[in-house]
Amino acid sequence: MKCKVMLVPIDPVHDIGLKMIARGLIEKGHEIIMLPPDLAMEEIVEQVLRTKNVDTLLMSRTLGYGVGELLARFIDLVDSTGIREKVKIGIGGMAIRPELAAELGFDAGFGPGTTVEETICFVEGREYTPDTLRTQKVKQDMTAGYDYAYHSTLIGDELHSITDMILDWVDDKTSPGVERAKVRDELWDIERWRSRQGNPEFDKVYPGLCGEIPRRYYQTGELHPKTRRFTVDEVQAFERYQKETKSRMSVMKLQHTRKKPMIFNQYGTGCPFMDIGHVIASEAWGADGVVHFDPSWGARTEGFLDGFLTHQEDGTVITPANLNRIHGGLEKSTLWQVRAHRGLNTPETVVLAGKIGADLTKINICYGALGAGTDPERMTVDGYHSILYAAKYNMPFDVVTNEELCGVPSYKAFAGMLIVADLARRLGARPILQPLFAYSPEVMIHGYMEDNYIDFNAAKVFALRSIINAPIWPGAPIGFLTHTEDRVQSAMTTALHTCLGSSLGVDAVSIASTDEAYSGGPITIPAKIDTLRAVAESLRFMGQAHIRETEQAQVYADRMVEGISHVLSDIIHCGDFVTAIHAGLLGSREEGAYPGRTGKGTVTIKKGVYEYDRSLCGREACQ
Amino acid sequence: MLRSLNQVMDALDIETFFICQSEQEGKNLMLSLLTNMGFKDIDIVFAQYAGPGARIRGRAYVHRPADQYRWLFADTGKEGE
Repeated sequence: MKCKVMLVPIDPVHDIGLKMIARGLIEKGHEIIMLPPDLAMEEIVEQVLRTKNVDTLLMSRTLGYGVGELLARFIDLVDSTGIREKVKIGIGGMAIRPELAAELGFDAGFGPGTTVEETICFVEGREYTPDTLRTQKVKQDMTAGYDYAYHSTLIGDELHSITDMILDWVDDKTSPGVERAKVRDELWDIERWRSRQGNPEFDKVYPGLCGEIPRRYYQTGELHPKTRRFTVDEVQAFERYQKETKSRMSVMKLQHTRKKPMIFNQYGTGCPFMDIGHVIASEAWGADGVVHFDPSWGARTEGFLDGFLTHQEDGTVITPANLNRIHGGLEKSTLWQVRAHRGLNTPETVVLAGKIGADLTKINICYGALGAGTDPERMTVDGYHSILYAAKYNMPFDVVTNEELCGVPSYKAFAGMLIVADLARRLGARPILQPLFAYSPEVMIHGYMEDNYIDFNAAKVFALRSIINAPIWPGAPIGFLTHTEDRVQSAMTTALHTCLGSSLGVDAVSIASTDEAYSGGPITIPAKIDTLRAVAESLRFMGQAHIRETEQAQVYADRMVEGISHVLSDIIHCGDFVTAIHAGLLGSREEGAYPGRTGKGTVTIKKGVYEYDRSLCGREACQ
Repeated sequence: MLRSLNQVMDALDIETFFICQSEQEGKNLMLSLLTNMGFKDIDIVFAQYAGPGARIRGRAYVHRPADQYRWLFADTGKEGE
């Protein structure tokens, strides 16, 4: 069916939207008549009457001043001349809201963001169905296409030697964390748990391997302070909310014409309901992945609680029920990372995340043993087993370099990251390198970013790429320590760092919310959306274009590579990885990196599967 | 007004520019505004004073994590706590 469509820009100049619609209509074979702009309402009516067989009149209005009165007068005119009975009339433009158009009596109103297809459907009398292909997202594997080959033979060889050293060291050792992970892996059947059949063998052994807080929970039901169970009413109400929200859910795509970087943001309000609320909104506004953030006390407690629990403070308690609910709330396209990189539950977190269905985890022996406070011996043996489980459950994991935030130079942090990555490759896992895009203490002290934020961050990517062909996921969040509590500044700095990541072709970035720097209360969802909107605009701005760094970036990169090699060489010379951590080779006390004390003295010599050393059971971690 | 607040997922941010003579005065004006609007859990997220006045971002938490969220009970007749 071919239609005759009259297009009428009511404004003096703003007729771009109508010109785009005209092109779309012509491509569909419709006849169009474009009137000049700025005609009086009477002149428009006269044109319609003079032109025979107009099927549809499409008008546009950008200027908001007096729009209601103007259009009301127009409707009166078309009513009095009988045009309304023969011609379908639609109005669109920046000044138009669908509600206003309906109120005035137009057949359709098209507000800002209307697509050409939508107006063509109106002309053709078809129902408009949004192009779902544009918003249909599929989970991506950011490790695909990387072979982890070393471009630097020297550094590759050094890393292999250190991996041998670590493998020798961990071979006969275990810890309460490793034993709990083994029990969780072998005796906890998730399908039995989901169908409420229970896992009696697991229940018999597990509490005895826990510290005081979880053990009290299993013995008496006592919860950690500031933690409570959800009520039945809350759970039922939440299930209704989730079902209703899912039915109208759609997701945006942020990358514009590029495929990457994928955009991750972190959640961890303390409450799984609030988390799911934040996650759903983040997905709707385009986040490709979300990161589970647990409370810091969880890292210093041997063992997990159980039950569907909410917690008042930062970080959401890891329990099977909490993770399972959050997982169930995710869109199919959303990548879900459960952080396990530090603390006394690292291997068990990987097992639990893997069984429940996480796509990614996070493990780092060096940062876990320095900035985050777990004893280096414990972190090494737990980290090794965590990597084995990550391989078993097919979860790639990032290796973060947050020790930079303590003041450790990036080359030392990178040496630690590469050690873990090499160990992971030996164990059949898929590591992802996570350099920070940050205004770190090292940068502040040495003035590396006095001119710009580009060179030193770009240098990190150049350095890593000159060493190994591996995925790179800057974090966490990008632009760390450049954010302030100013909403606009914060969104802007995240957007600009995203532009840099896009330009460098990194695989993913983790972003902050615009209240990241505010410490007075929980992060809010509007603040998350602020940043997602800014990121969307930054990627639209960048397209396939590039940011050009200065020559200084390569100077920094060369210096980093040299530093990394020196650190690795020093560790080999030291002869023992754990001793090297204590000696400050991967970050010294002077640099702000203190070896962790949590879990000190808990590593023991293995006795074999299920021959638990009961002296380990219930021992509280050193605080 | 109250029903709208029930539907706020977590917090309400209000940003404005106060004609004032110092950052502290601007913060006080925002806190006073939020208090007068009936909010109790309030704070200043951001304040910047320059020349004629202060740009302020105030925040009122409506639902903090672990509260009983009223948006969950919107259609049930139950108000939550």
